[in-house]
Amino acid sequence: MSDERSVVSLRAISQRFGRQPVLRRVDLELLAGTIVGLVGANGAGKTTLFSIVAGLLQPDGGARWLFGAAADEVDTATRARMAYVAHAPQLYGALSARENLQLHADLRRVCGLPTRAADEVLTELGLPREAFDRPMSAHSRGMAQRVALARALAARPELLVLDEPFTALDAGGREQLAQVLLGERARGAAVLLSSHDLDTLTQICDRVVLLERGELGRSVDHEGDRAVFRERAAALWTGRAASAGSGPAGALAPAAVLC
Amino acid sequence: MRVLRQALLLLRSELRQELRDFELLLTASFFTVVLLAMFYLSFASLQSKAHLAAIPGLMWLTIAFVGVLTLTRVFDREREADTLRALLAAPVERLAIYFAKAAMTLAVLMLCCMVLVPGLWLMFPAGAAFAEQPLATALLALLGCGGYVAIGALFAAGLATGAGKNTLLFIILYPLTTPVLMYALVTTRALLDHHPDLPSYLGQMAALDLILVSIAALLFETVLVGSGARSTSPKGQVPRTLSREPSA
Repeated sequence: MSDERSVVSLRAISQRFGRQPVLRRVDLELLAGTIVGLVGANGAGKTTLFSIVAGLLQPDGGARWLFGAAADEVDTATRARMAYVAHAPQLYGALSARENLQLHADLRRVCGLPTRAADEVLTELGLPREAFDRPMSAHSRGMAQRVALARALAARPELLVLDEPFTALDAGGREQLAQVLLGERARGAAVLLSSHDLDTLTQICDRVVLLERGELGRSVDHEGDRAVFRERAAALWTGRAASAGSGPAGALAPAAVLC
Repeated sequence: MRVLRQALLLLRSELRQELRDFELLLTASFFTVVLLAMFYLSFASLQSKAHLAAIPGLMWLTIAFVGVLTLTRVFDREREADTLRALLAAPVERLAIYFAKAAMTLAVLMLCCMVLVPGLWLMFPAGAAFAEQPLATALLALLGCGGYVAIGALFAAGLATGAGKNTLLFIILYPLTTPVLMYALVTTRALLDHHPDLPSYLGQMAALDLILVSIAALLFETVLVGSGARSTSPKGQVPRTLSREPSA
């Protein structure tokens, strides 16, 4: 990759499940210190794309670069530099929030990787202290989401892949997370996230991209005015809605190269 | 070394979860007691010579049943909250996951043996040989269960995220573990007969275990990454292929 800031670079990534194409020749470039939001209808392929970026899925076709190096397979050293939060919190129900974080922190420390203190990052995401030692099975979905995000942030990753991170969070939680993600961007991390909440996305993203039926379509960039960015992103989404019954996604603008 | 340390951390987490509800231990030991009671009712009236022939079969049949029950549950825990994918996305060595799961299953099976072996000894006079050779009995149980778990953990991991995996595990596991169970059965008979070649039998079982663990360790990453790939597909659909084009 020519750009030293390149964190994720996908070229012509394709994925099929059975006979059904889920991703069609997706190109994606994500640079350090940027936040890119992915929008798209349910089943558009967002989770599949994130799984490929996180190395949980090998694409059927195309090429993947992570941190400037070809990543046919995503090895332990590469995984150490990224954190992935799936749509489900993926936490052990019998363990407490602190124990869940501690387990992953200990696993990282074995590899010589630094991690933030569990209490510090849980507090940052608004988890009340009395909930730290409560089993995850006794937590609400929103609290579990905070813990899952805390686990990812504790690793101080260079790349954050967040699949609908605002899900189940209350207004305060969304605001807290937005601030945290802006802090991560300021630190130099690259953030790739999806959400159906355009308001929040346009508050924090540098670019919003539409993924429709497995193809990356149009995108809009933040160019200084958040209100204008919000309007343009809404128009992008509305355009998608208008085109939904009128033709294939390929009728949209060419696939986007981000940032 | 890193694999071992990560495996120990994962095993500690497994044990911590188990100590919160004792689900695996209670299920395995209760099932063992039920099987023992059924065996006693069925075979107690037979002559003691027949007991000698029956005990090895009863012992390893119980291990096979409890083993698959435990393997299923050990990986169900990961599947219920999709936590296996969190481990796969983290800088965790795949082998560490294998060793942790295998060790947890082995621990449960050894506990099952602590109920099973004394039970067989108390119920059937021919089982007294277990008490006469406690070290050989412990080694036999460890090696037999170890071989079973070496294969079982491999396939249970591979099937952990697939639809209908429990059925598949039963179908795949029993034929594949038959050689281990047969070997264990023959060695148990040798122990009960006070056969002079018992140490040789145990040595061969140890060698077989080593081979099985090596094969499983070689295959585990492929099996696990395959299962991880399946789990990412929407609506449980399975990717047709995991092949990929070389990087440009």
